Amino acid sequence: MKVRVDSELCQGHTLCAMNAPDLFALRDEDGHAYALLEEVPADKEGQAREAARSCPEQAIVLF
Amino acid sequence: MSTEETTSADAERKKHTISLDRHTSRYRIEFEELAKEFHGKCPVAWNDTHGGYWFASGNKELFDIARRADVLSNDHDVKGIRKGYQGISIPSVVVPGVPRRRGGFLEMDPPEQRYYRQALNPYLSPAAVARWRPVLEEVTRACIDEVIESGRIDFVDDLANIVPAVFTLAMLGLPIKDWTVYCEPTHAAVYTSPDDPGYARMRELQAVMGQHLMGNVFAVRENPRPGLINELLNLEINGERPDDGEIFGVIGLIIGGGFDTSTALTAHSLEWLSEHPGERDRLSRERETLLDSATEEFLRYFTPAQGDGRTISQDCVINGTEFKEGERLWLSWAMANRDEKVFEDPHNVHLDRKGNRHASFGLGIHRCIGSNVARAVFKIMLTAVLDRMPDFVCDPEGAEHYDTTGVINGMKHLPATFTPGRRLGPGLEETLERMQRLCDEQGLAEPVTVRATAAKLDG
Repeated sequence: MKVRVDSELCQGHTLCAMNAPDLFALRDEDGHAYALLEEVPADKEGQAREAARSCPEQAIVLF
Repeated sequence: MSTEETTSADAERKKHTISLDRHTSRYRIEFEELAKEFHGKCPVAWNDTHGGYWFASGNKELFDIARRADVLSNDHDVKGIRKGYQGISIPSVVVPGVPRRRGGFLEMDPPEQRYYRQALNPYLSPAAVARWRPVLEEVTRACIDEVIESGRIDFVDDLANIVPAVFTLAMLGLPIKDWTVYCEPTHAAVYTSPDDPGYARMRELQAVMGQHLMGNVFAVRENPRPGLINELLNLEINGERPDDGEIFGVIGLIIGGGFDTSTALTAHSLEWLSEHPGERDRLSRERETLLDSATEEFLRYFTPAQGDGRTISQDCVINGTEFKEGERLWLSWAMANRDEKVFEDPHNVHLDRKGNRHASFGLGIHRCIGSNVARAVFKIMLTAVLDRMPDFVCDPEGAEHYDTTGVINGMKHLPATFTPGRRLGPGLEETLERMQRLCDEQGLAEPVTVRATAAKLDG
């Protein structure tokens, strides 16, 4: 499983980093998110799915 | 089309018509039933009150509309120099004798709106807010120390009004000891209607606050000191400085947004926890895993800012509803948060709720810029209460909710009793003096791009 944050859609709600702190980080200057790793480790796939489900803007892309 | 044809086409467009005055107590008291009814029958309806406006309550419908900045406008054209759009309040707020003012960048469209947000984000991002944690904990500690020996607290007056107010002033670069000048008029402005007996007093307090603010803004201009005000005074948009009216509009937005919403969330959550002591104990015990999800759940369930208005900026069809340019639209964050198609058992609080993509901070480019502030102050106040007054019991007789929730789902008072405890440090006045020194000496109100390190209490 791979993951990325669609930066056009992300508005900085921060729920992805809250739900999956190993997979997402937030930019210091505006809190918008980015994926720390493109490839999701097998044991973090549940976290990745929860982050995607929780995103108010539906900006997390799993592929 | 003939007039007759237009009328019939209009009737077809507005076939789902409701009559809901959000500024009556019916909306507050029957909120759950109304949400169920609208979700079932008309997730997007034409509301024929207040001049008529679209009312989006369904989660999917709201999601699809709210993010369409290409067809929506937040503009409040107070001078009538653009298209005369009315901003985000429905109905428009008209105060006799007072010129209308744009509510900061929440009543602007891009690109102007974006310049303001880019300038202010480095003060309000998660990293920026995290630097303040020691200060927020210390102010919270002092608020609780003021009452801890008595066994009595009003969670609104003695805690939830104070911490957000002090923090907002600190970030603006205003003297924090003067939080009382700002507190009452800011909250009262939300819950006091012109026919209320308290209206005259609220207007007087607002005038005092306005004077204080104006004096301080001019003082910052003369002698710059870090903070949001300084940033606004130095902001240039296409080589031009915004005029003072725009700057006061933005400061008003920050104060209005920073005070009443955080108070509303904290008070409602504490009231709920008092009514559910088992859940309160569980939250306290399992806070490491539950605090984040509980916070998001309280945000969803109580939705402090119930909704926002928009104006349709061009004819469009979204999910089969035909919108016309110039029509008004209400995005009901509160009702979208109760849609069972997205939230299982939506009308109950589940502290461990998963997939909680609530819209309490709005959706799209106008996402609440203070969302990280709200979460931080809420969590710090809540955990301090759980630690220091774990058996608190709110008094339902004394709890006072806003009569109407057309704007904010707030509370005026929430008295409670608890087993008295010991003070841990100095009282509020002394603490605020000390915190002011820290702000000044450490430049705490600088943006995170200038100062990355956290406040040091012994510094």
